[in-house]
Amino acid sequence: MRRFFSLILIIGFGFYLVTVIGRIPFAATGEAKGSVGVQIVNDTVNDTGAANAVTSVVVLYRGFDTLGEVTVLFLAALGMSLLLKGTEEVKARVFDESFILKTGSYLLFPFIVLFGLYIIVHGHLTPGGGFPGGVVIATAFFIIVMTSEMVRLRENLVSILESLAGLTFIALGIAGLLGTKNSFLANFMGKGVFNTILSAGIIPFIYAAIGIKVGSELTGAVGSMFLSPFGKQEEAGE
Amino acid sequence: MVNPILLIIIPLATAFFIPLLAIVWKNGSRYLALLAALANVLIGIKLLPYVLEKPIHVTIAGFKAPIGIDLLAGPLGIVFSLIISITGFLVLIYSIGYIRDESINKYYTLFLLLLTGSTGMVLTNDIFNLFVFFEILCISSYILVAYNRDEHGLEAAIKYLVLGSVGSLLFLIAIAIIYLKLGTLNMADISDKFDALGGSYRMMVVVLILSGLGVEAAIFPLNSWLPDAHSSAPSSISALLSGFVIEVALIVVMKLVYSVFHAMQVLNALAVVGVITLLVGEFAAFRQENIKRVLAYSSIGQVGLILLALSINSKAGISAAVLQIINHTASKSILFLVSGYFILKTGSYRYSDYSGIAKRMPVSSLLFVLAALSLIGVPPFLGFFSKLQIVMAAAARGSTFYVSLVSLVLLGTIVEGAYFLRIAQVLYFGRQQDTDSGWLETGNAAGIDMESVGNAPVSAVIPVLLLGIVVVFGFLFLTNLNGVTGSIAGEITRALSLASLF
Repeated sequence: MRRFFSLILIIGFGFYLVTVIGRIPFAATGEAKGSVGVQIVNDTVNDTGAANAVTSVVVLYRGFDTLGEVTVLFLAALGMSLLLKGTEEVKARVFDESFILKTGSYLLFPFIVLFGLYIIVHGHLTPGGGFPGGVVIATAFFIIVMTSEMVRLRENLVSILESLAGLTFIALGIAGLLGTKNSFLANFMGKGVFNTILSAGIIPFIYAAIGIKVGSELTGAVGSMFLSPFGKQEEAGE
Repeated sequence: MVNPILLIIIPLATAFFIPLLAIVWKNGSRYLALLAALANVLIGIKLLPYVLEKPIHVTIAGFKAPIGIDLLAGPLGIVFSLIISITGFLVLIYSIGYIRDESINKYYTLFLLLLTGSTGMVLTNDIFNLFVFFEILCISSYILVAYNRDEHGLEAAIKYLVLGSVGSLLFLIAIAIIYLKLGTLNMADISDKFDALGGSYRMMVVVLILSGLGVEAAIFPLNSWLPDAHSSAPSSISALLSGFVIEVALIVVMKLVYSVFHAMQVLNALAVVGVITLLVGEFAAFRQENIKRVLAYSSIGQVGLILLALSINSKAGISAAVLQIINHTASKSILFLVSGYFILKTGSYRYSDYSGIAKRMPVSSLLFVLAALSLIGVPPFLGFFSKLQIVMAAAARGSTFYVSLVSLVLLGTIVEGAYFLRIAQVLYFGRQQDTDSGWLETGNAAGIDMESVGNAPVSAVIPVLLLGIVVVFGFLFLTNLNGVTGSIAGEITRALSLASLF
């Protein structure tokens, strides 16, 4: 009976959602005139000097949200390392892949990392940036961890990188607070020459910090799932 | 003047710094976290007189609202930051002795992020930023609930995680609708434009946000996670979750309903939901044997009372609700912190096993009873005045509707008194002879040796004593408190507008 009522309730709520949201046209760009988004797209080059408007929104206009999102990722990785530590099921997974797979992954590793770095560094010029770049770098480690049991990644190193990157983000923010604009995360550096690597003030620096943070967090998360990079596979048995 | 954004930045930066500190000083995090919380308390105290005169508007990244994100540190923001940081500081002192395992650095990191998330929620003036801080708050509490890594904790955390994620999702849909239709995320800007939105969208946004944040605020049909989560978490964390996490979610959602969405038409329904929440919580608490579950259900009851008071739609009601929040934070923290050591010393969660523990732990037991009396609303404790103000505010509305709701509240209070006094009786006078009721049949069957039960350590007694001072002597400062709660009520009932920010 209780289930029946729950079902009725869910269907009712779903129907309500669909009827109201369904009336919103899919391409609703013209809906909100004077939208903040439209203003940002018009002003972004003058305001920030970044060629990529999405990046200027992520790092500057809504940089405070990004700091929060990075923290959310940090929390998730922390929770995984706390809760997965030492459970039996996790320890049992040891991978011993073929020679070809191992060699191939070692061969690919530097290129994947380089690609990730490229994406991070060019975040304010081309699509991409700290989040995707960090994920690409973490993928490089992920492949190594998946295929080879020989690799030792120090858990300390990962968390040091993660902390330093987070503190850099905050320090750049506080520098804006101390600067002339007196506002957290304000762009206190010059805008530079438009569409070059060292343009758009603090944006590339913050994005680099985000890239390192995302990369180390995801690497740490993968590590806590497989445990083998942290030197635990002796206990895991054959 | 200090920038209110430091209230968010200090705990966040400290949380990021803890892994670095851990390399050179393994247990340094407990003192560093203490320092960060203390800094927040001091900043809050320094800012309070300013914001009571005029709210401080903080622009982030140098972009004027509504283009950028901004904070609005009004009386509500600063008073709740103070509640959060003071409770956090005291619970951190308690944690020095209570949390003693190998992953304490992670505990303190999560603890500080919990403080960051809740402080951010009360200070921000941007609805998406609110969502981000809400996520930080939720995720850190999911993990902390499972901190002991036992079966109950993990199960409760998963349940909490699933319900919480659905809640967050509904909240996010509401934000998407707002941005799509109004093109802005700034709360003041939304408030200016909201009345022009179509009726069905307005209602949908309010319903989605109420049900999204309502999961965290433990409003009636959405609170099934709470008893498990609050009772399986380490007691220090239960004190935070019951002490300010649900209240922060509740006050923020009501602030949105009043000052951003002007949705006065839902208030009567919310008042009814509040009373149902209260009755469900109190009657369920009456039937529990596990002391932490009693306290968790009692929190649901209190949330119902606070929701009712917030829904009265008068300044007096909201002001009384804030006073009740202060009382509940102090009292419920005491109850959870003390019961943490009851459990640790006896090894049992059943309060019937604590017979005569007052002889062994006199200070803790006394404070437990005082806090319970304040929650029931016995004069001259703070809880009496807050409940009295709620009843008077409801009566001042004069309608039969509110009078009948208040009579149900008084019924809930009787039940509340019954179960708290039953625990007090066990603590002081030991086993009850009447076994007909069935709840005490096993008595001290666990074979706990009361002789071996000693006092709680000083680090646990000091924070409880300090909270006890608030509960017992709070009435001496009632006029000051009423001044502060009154200005919070003024802030909540006044419609936000972009023009008033600058």
